[in-house]
Amino acid sequence: MTSIPSRADAVIVGAGIAGLCTALPLAKAGRTVVVLDRGAAWGDASGANAGTLSLQVKRPEVLHVTRRAIELWQAMRAELGADVGFAKPGGLRVATSEKELGMLRGSMAVQASLGLETEWLEGNRLRDAAPWLGPSVRAATWCDWDALSSPLLAGRALLAAARRRGVTVQDQAEVTAIAALDRGYRVTTAAGTVDCAQLVIAAGAWTGKVAALLGVDLPVDADVNMLSVTEPAPPLLDKVVTHMGGVLSLKQYPNGTVMIGGGWQGRGSHQSMRRETDHLNLLHNMRVACAIVPALKDLRLVRSWAGFEGVASDALPLLGALPGRPGAFVNACARGGYSQGPALGEQMAELMLTGRTSLDVARFDPARFAAAGAHA
Amino acid sequence: MTHRFDAGIDRGTAFTITVDDAAVRAFPGESVAAALLGDGRRAFRRTARTGAPRSLYCGMGVCWDCLVTIDGRSGLRACMTEAQPGMRVLTGRTGLEPEAGR
Amino acid sequence: MMRVDLAVVGAGPAGLAAAAEAVTHGMTVALIDDNARPGGQYFRHVPPSFRRTAATAFDKDRARAEALFAITRHPQVTYLPEATVWDVPEPLTLAVAAGPRSGQVEAGAIVVAAGAHDRPVPFPGWTLPGVVSAGGVQNLIKGFRLVPGTRAAVAGNGPLLFLIGASLLRAGVAVAAVVEAAPIDRRLPAALPQLLAAPEILQQALDYRWALLRAGVPVLTGWAPVNAEGEDAVRAVQAAPIAEDGSVDRARARSFDCDLLVVGFGLVPSVELLRLAGAGLRFDRRRGGWLPERDEALETTRRNIFAAGDGTGIGGVELALIEGRRAAVEAAVQLSRIAPFAADEIRAGLRRRWKRLDRFRRGIEALFAPPKDFLALQTPQTVLCRCEEVTRQEIEERRAEGFRGAVQLKSTTRMGMGRCQGRNCMATLAALVAADSGASESAVALPKARAPARPIPIGDLLHETIPPPDLPADPHLPRKRRT
Repeated sequence: MTSIPSRADAVIVGAGIAGLCTALPLAKAGRTVVVLDRGAAWGDASGANAGTLSLQVKRPEVLHVTRRAIELWQAMRAELGADVGFAKPGGLRVATSEKELGMLRGSMAVQASLGLETEWLEGNRLRDAAPWLGPSVRAATWCDWDALSSPLLAGRALLAAARRRGVTVQDQAEVTAIAALDRGYRVTTAAGTVDCAQLVIAAGAWTGKVAALLGVDLPVDADVNMLSVTEPAPPLLDKVVTHMGGVLSLKQYPNGTVMIGGGWQGRGSHQSMRRETDHLNLLHNMRVACAIVPALKDLRLVRSWAGFEGVASDALPLLGALPGRPGAFVNACARGGYSQGPALGEQMAELMLTGRTSLDVARFDPARFAAAGAHA
Repeated sequence: MTHRFDAGIDRGTAFTITVDDAAVRAFPGESVAAALLGDGRRAFRRTARTGAPRSLYCGMGVCWDCLVTIDGRSGLRACMTEAQPGMRVLTGRTGLEPEAGR
Repeated sequence: MMRVDLAVVGAGPAGLAAAAEAVTHGMTVALIDDNARPGGQYFRHVPPSFRRTAATAFDKDRARAEALFAITRHPQVTYLPEATVWDVPEPLTLAVAAGPRSGQVEAGAIVVAAGAHDRPVPFPGWTLPGVVSAGGVQNLIKGFRLVPGTRAAVAGNGPLLFLIGASLLRAGVAVAAVVEAAPIDRRLPAALPQLLAAPEILQQALDYRWALLRAGVPVLTGWAPVNAEGEDAVRAVQAAPIAEDGSVDRARARSFDCDLLVVGFGLVPSVELLRLAGAGLRFDRRRGGWLPERDEALETTRRNIFAAGDGTGIGGVELALIEGRRAAVEAAVQLSRIAPFAADEIRAGLRRRWKRLDRFRRGIEALFAPPKDFLALQTPQTVLCRCEEVTRQEIEERRAEGFRGAVQLKSTTRMGMGRCQGRNCMATLAALVAADSGASESAVALPKARAPARPIPIGDLLHETIPPPDLPADPHLPRKRRT
């Protein structure tokens, strides 16, 4: 096993989307960076998510960040010199009941007030736009920002780019202790010890556990999201589909496979490290999918899996300095953190390099939990 | 080429299936794969990524290499599907974009 | 939801025998099989529409097969053909995909008799039309009296090669060569005492070898196929000597013209369902790789889940028939359907025969023990993953980028992510990772077993009545789940 350097300007705990998208701009600015992962880099939520980059499905508080992120996703191929499977076919957010129609209208109005224009589609206009939708779909909003990418391609591209920029990415390096130095921290891991001036916790579901090593309580839990993928099929749906009720995401990749998600919960927990599909929820997930796109009935299900998604108790991102711990930061647990990752990483790096951010991320400040939790 | 041998059996009366616009003879109870091979065909399809020819390999439903489109439904295993009179079988690319999704 | 005493997965020799034994103890049985007709691979037979006009050597097992198939019509047996077990939602419940018949089968005990498939061994040209697995060619011969070629070569590793060579001759096909990787002629004297435990099976094997000799078929032992040549279909095969360390002497390669190349490198037990059920596995390379751990009662590490037949380690049809019966007897004991003294009597007889056949199997394993690995057959352009068309070179490129381990190499190449769910390539990937890290194949961490155990039509999942879903009140907030 390779050993990690004994010092670096920045140590980032977690080699997922948040960690790597923080590491890249830091490295670009000339900082030496070590990224540590408790397991395999890109091995948890970042590699196991649906790849959906939907803007209109996001809650109002994160719209501006997600919009910036989709711009960065779009530029990523040129930036990294590798395909990340990005495509921006636009998306439909569907409603199937009176209640969902009301929610969708409300969401559309809020988004318009925040500068995101979506289009209301129903009746023939909806069927013309998406003849593959089933009769249970009453209406949908169309958002031309909605996009998708391939988590598998993105992981490979981001890891390769980070390594090219001199970032050390160390697998199997679970952090076991963090000690404060005069300036900075000494981070002890299963793969060696490293001193750093700045420390970022980007550990997804394990963010609470790592923060606890610094004596800070963060209310972090993890969802166990299930995903399924079909056999490759001829072109079937040409848009990203999301659901007002939050129970479905659908998209077809260029290789013909259809990814079916929607936040249906598997079994297990990040504490026990067990993550398994739940049989009944898998059946529900497939039924919702077939109700929205009936042609899915004829496709074969090839794989399903479950992945942890770290989430704070208010389901907003944790982004900013750790209160009372100079030089220590958190970038984690953004709901839909994969889609927001590039922008949150950019903002994190800006904050570390200049003390400011170009976007307003004040609402994500981990200090919002500090009053309740910090035992300094 | 392919060799249907008649050791101790009478296959009964053949019927016809359509394979890419050609009429192909099949015997009752034969799989689509057996009918295609019996017709002397080698490749059943071309792969999505490189266009390489593929045919029957495992012959027991495990490898998913003998894929054809039958009556409009793509990705069916020729080795696990029984031939029926009038079936329309398409070989060729398995309905996918080449070089895609990588 | 169907409730039975015993669910049997697989209607091959072990599964049929298990079902037949179970009904004699008064048990109700669900016999679930993904084929349209019973028999598995060994007892595969021509369709009922093929009329038999004369008895031939191809019908050797016909009477025995028909007797076994009778169990599918027994009143205590629910036979589910063309049905795929795809999940194990509860410890003794199976989820079955079978079109409109789809649903769950809840059982007091389960016998998994899932059989085996050919071990995929990549070498240049192995994806060409006309390169067919040993099992595939046998199925065409047994099931349709068809051989997809007129001049065949047979190559690989294991006792099936001689059987296939002989049946090809019997079918009137020219056999260009039989190429066996193990130096069996040199090993025969040492293995003979064990092989004599089942002289009747040994005699069959010698008959096959004699038939090949009589027909003047070149038999190369200690050789392996290094290239299948052809553009749209195979035209010739090149074979070269292979040493026990897996190294190949391409300078001495010989070429054989053929329009059919039968490849058989032994069989791999189908353990995915047992993995899904959480049963413990152990690694035994000679017996096929990953096998379920079983105790004396053929019970896996999961209570009341038994495993029998080739799916537990390759042993052949006679052993499978006995194991199926043994597993059903033990299930009957667990469910108190048989008095202990009666069970002991049956057990004793079965175990005696099992021991004799197991001794023979060990002889075969010693005789045909494969080289260390078959990785030297590959070139950079060789396709390792047939579904996603991943080459050896792509694996090497990912390694150069810093990716290690089966899980990372899988996710960065898509190797193992196609329709076959890794059945054609995960063993190769494990061997490559093992060779790279210096560890044994058994130490390579493979991707988790997940539902569906086999690809299933999504439409099959819509038939069952299920309780209504627990929908999130606010989709943005953390979800509820069962832990």
